[in-house]
Amino acid sequence: MVSIKDYDSDVENKWCPGCGNFGILAAMKDALAAQGISPEKILIISGIGQAAKTPHYLKCNLFHALHGRALPLATGAKIANHELTILVNSGDGDCYGEGGNHFMHAVRRNIDLTLLVHNNKVYGLTKGQASPTSDEGMVTKIQSEGVISEAFNPLSVSLALGAGFVARSFSGKAEHLSKIIQEGIKHKGFSLIDILQPCVSFNHVNTFDWYKKRVYDLSQKGYIPDDFNKAMEISRMWGDKIPLGIIYQKEKPSYTDKIIKLKKGTLVSGEYSQKKVQNAIHSQ
Amino acid sequence: MSIDISVKIGGEAGQGIQTVGDILARVCLKYGLYLMAINDFESRIRGGHSFFQIRISDKPVNAPSHSINLLLALDKKSFDLHEKELVKDGLCLMEKIDAPLKKNIIAIPFIELAKESGGKITSNTVAAGACLALLGAPFGIIREIITEGFASKGKDIVEKNLNAAKAGYEAAGKVSFKFAFKWKASRPGGILIDGSRAVALGALAADCRFAAFYPMSPATGIMAHLASVADDFPLVVEQAEDEIAAVNMAIGASFAGARAMTATSGGGFCLMTEGLGLSGITETPIVIVNAQRPGPATGLATRTAQADLLFVINAAQDEFPRFVFAPGSPAEAFETTSRAFHLSDKYQVPAIILVDQYLNDSLFIAEKDLKAPGKVKRFIVGDTDLKNPAEYKRYALTGSGVSPRAVPCNGKAIVMVSGNEHREDGHTSESAQIRIDMVNKRNAKVVKMLSEMNPPERYFPRSKILLAGWGSTKGAIREAVDILRKEKISAGCVNFNDLWPFPAAAAKKALLACEKFYMVEQNSTAQLGRLIKEQTALSYSGAVLKYDGRPFYPVEIADGIKENLRKKS
Repeated sequence: MVSIKDYDSDVENKWCPGCGNFGILAAMKDALAAQGISPEKILIISGIGQAAKTPHYLKCNLFHALHGRALPLATGAKIANHELTILVNSGDGDCYGEGGNHFMHAVRRNIDLTLLVHNNKVYGLTKGQASPTSDEGMVTKIQSEGVISEAFNPLSVSLALGAGFVARSFSGKAEHLSKIIQEGIKHKGFSLIDILQPCVSFNHVNTFDWYKKRVYDLSQKGYIPDDFNKAMEISRMWGDKIPLGIIYQKEKPSYTDKIIKLKKGTLVSGEYSQKKVQNAIHSQ
Repeated sequence: MSIDISVKIGGEAGQGIQTVGDILARVCLKYGLYLMAINDFESRIRGGHSFFQIRISDKPVNAPSHSINLLLALDKKSFDLHEKELVKDGLCLMEKIDAPLKKNIIAIPFIELAKESGGKITSNTVAAGACLALLGAPFGIIREIITEGFASKGKDIVEKNLNAAKAGYEAAGKVSFKFAFKWKASRPGGILIDGSRAVALGALAADCRFAAFYPMSPATGIMAHLASVADDFPLVVEQAEDEIAAVNMAIGASFAGARAMTATSGGGFCLMTEGLGLSGITETPIVIVNAQRPGPATGLATRTAQADLLFVINAAQDEFPRFVFAPGSPAEAFETTSRAFHLSDKYQVPAIILVDQYLNDSLFIAEKDLKAPGKVKRFIVGDTDLKNPAEYKRYALTGSGVSPRAVPCNGKAIVMVSGNEHREDGHTSESAQIRIDMVNKRNAKVVKMLSEMNPPERYFPRSKILLAGWGSTKGAIREAVDILRKEKISAGCVNFNDLWPFPAAAAKKALLACEKFYMVEQNSTAQLGRLIKEQTALSYSGAVLKYDGRPFYPVEIADGIKENLRKKS
C-alpha cells in the first residue's frame, strides 16, 4: 500500500500562500497513492516556472530541466526506458509559449506520458506579464493597453493534432483533478491535462471565485468523450460556462509501441555486441 | 610515390558524379591501390556544379591534390572551370559534341554508347569504363566491381552496366595517356570510409543507444549511417523537431541510462547551447558532434571550415567542464567518438567532437582495422553499490567532483536532478555556500580530465620550424611537411586531436622544441594559435589560413609557409 504521506517532501515550499499549485500538488499525491505508484517508481520532469517547482515538493525521481524543454527531455527518457511512468509539470508559458513547438510534436508522437499544464493564464515567476493563454484585453504592466492577441487554446490545438487524451480540470477541485490525473496515467499514450488555476498575485481577472462560478463537470451531464466533433465544440466553450473533465479519449498505439525493437525490452536493458559492431564496420 | 594520379569528375548535381566516383574508388581499393576523394557540391538538389576528385596512389594519401591528370567533364562547364587544373599532358574526357575541340579533349559518345548497351541511364558507367581504360586498368577488375555493385538490382541491370562499361572501355582503349600505369594486384590497403560513417561506427563501438538530430549539412550523414544499421542494435535514431529538442532528448535518454548523442553543424549547435549548459550543470553525460561548415548563420551550407573551436570551448553561459576533440582522419574519428562517450560517461560532462564537411564527406582508406571493444564499461551505480540507497544523493560531494550516478526508477535510490543550482540531494538551493561548493565540485573534475588528454601528435618534432594544426587538416599538413623537407627546409608538424581541457604542458613541450611555429587553420584568425597563446604564453610566428570553404591542398600550405619564411628574412 502506498499512502499520501509517502510522498511528503521536506523541501521548503516557495509558492505564494493561496496559490492554485497547492491544490494540484495535493491532487497529484492523491492520484499517485490511489494508483499504488510508490515514489521510487515515478519520474516527474519539469521545465521552468512556478509549476516546474512541483516535483521538488513531493518525493519522486525528478529532472527539473530548461524552460520549455521538459517534453523533449521526457521523450528521450521514455524512449530510453519505456517502462518508466512519467509525469510532466509545466505551465502555460513554459508549455504553450517557450515550448510550443515541442508541445505540438509531443502530441504528434503520442509519447506515453501525462502532461499537467498549470494554466493560470499569466506569467508568475517573472512577475505578471501576459501568457499565451491570457484572455484578450487583460491588462498587465507590459500589456498596458490590454492583450491584443487571441488566447491560445490548448484543447482545440491538441485535438486538431490528434491527441488521444484531452482533459481539463481546476485546481480548486482536487478530487476531480486527482481522478483525471489517474485516468491520464492509465491512458496509454500522450495525455494532456490543462489545469485552470488562479494566480493570487498577478491574475486579478480569472480568480478562484471567477472560476468557481463558471466551471462544471461534463461527466455529470452524461457527456461521453468519444466524439471528435463534439469534443472540438466543447474545447471552444469559454465564458459563463467552462466545462471540466475528459473532453476526448481514444486509445491508439503510442510512440514507443510503434518502435518494434522495444517489444523485446527497453533500450537501457539491451545488450552490447562486439560482433555486431564488427559486422557493421565491415559491411558496405 | 611512383603513382600519384588525380581524376576529377565534374558535372551538375543529379548527373551521377557519385556513380562514376564510386566505381573508380572501388576498383582502385580492390586492386590494392591507395586513394582519397573529396566531394564538392552546392547547396541544391539539381543543376549547378559539383565534382568528385579522387587521388590514386601506390602509397597512402591523406589529402587532395591541387592539380589533376584526368578530367571527366559531364558538362561543358566542368571543362571551362577546371581545364586550368590539368597538368601538362593531362586529358579531358567529354561527351561528343558538334564543335571543334581543343587538343587535350577526348570526345566519346557516352550517351550513344549507353543507348546501345542498355539505356541512356548507363551513360555514367560508360564514362567510368572510359576513365579506367585511360588509366590502364584491366577490364577484369571493372567487371568484378560492377557485378558486385549492381548485384542487388538484378541480373539484367548488371548485364546492361557491364556492356556499358565495356563500350566505354573499348572507346577509350586506343587513346594513349601519359599517366596510364601498370596495375599490379595486391591486397586492399584498408577499408574505404568517410568521416560521417567513422563517427557513426565509433558511436556503435561505444554502445550508443539513442541518437537524436535535426537534419543539417554536413552532419546528416552521421545520423543516416546510424539509422541504416540501427535495426541490428538496441539503438533508436530519432529525428527531432529542432536542434533544441534533439539535445534535450539526448539528455533525457542519458539521464534514463542510455548512452546518447546528437550531431549538428554550427547553426544547430548555437540552438543546442542551453542544452549543453544543462548537461554541464546536471552532470548528465552527452556527446555532441559539431560538423563544421563556414558561418556565421547559414554561411556556406555544403562547404568546409574549422572556425568553431573557440565557440564550442566557450559555448553556453557561465563555466563548467567539458571535453572537446577534433579527429584528424576517419580512423581517428572512430577512436575519438568512442573515447568521447567513455570519458563523458566517466566524468559526467558533455563531450564535443569537432569534425567538418571535408572530413565527413571525403573518402579515405583507414589502414588499421577499426576495432570495437569486447565490453563497454559503464559508470552507473545501482542499489547494490550503495550503502544506503534510500539516502542516495545524486550530487554527493566527493574529492574528485564525480558523484556516484544512479538512474531513475531503478531501485530504492531516488534520483533528483536539477538545472537550477542544487544541493547534494538534487533539490534546488540559493545558498551562497552551496553554490560555491557545487561550482568547485564541477570544476574539480578538470584535474583528472586533463590527465586523460592525449598530447598533440608530432611529425619530425625536432625541426627548426613546426606547423601546428588541429582536426581534419592533419593529412594535408603532414604532406606539406614532406614537400618542405624535400626542399631542404627543416620542417615538422604538431597536430592536435584533444583540445579541451587544453593539454598545455604537452603543447608547450612540443612547441618549445622548434625555433618558430606557424599555425595552419581553416579560419580567419588562427583560433588554435590564440588558444595556444592563452594557455602556454607561446606565440606563433605566422599562419597559413584558408577560409574560402574549400579544403587545404598540401602544396598550398607549403607555399604559404615559404611565403611566411620569406617575409621574415
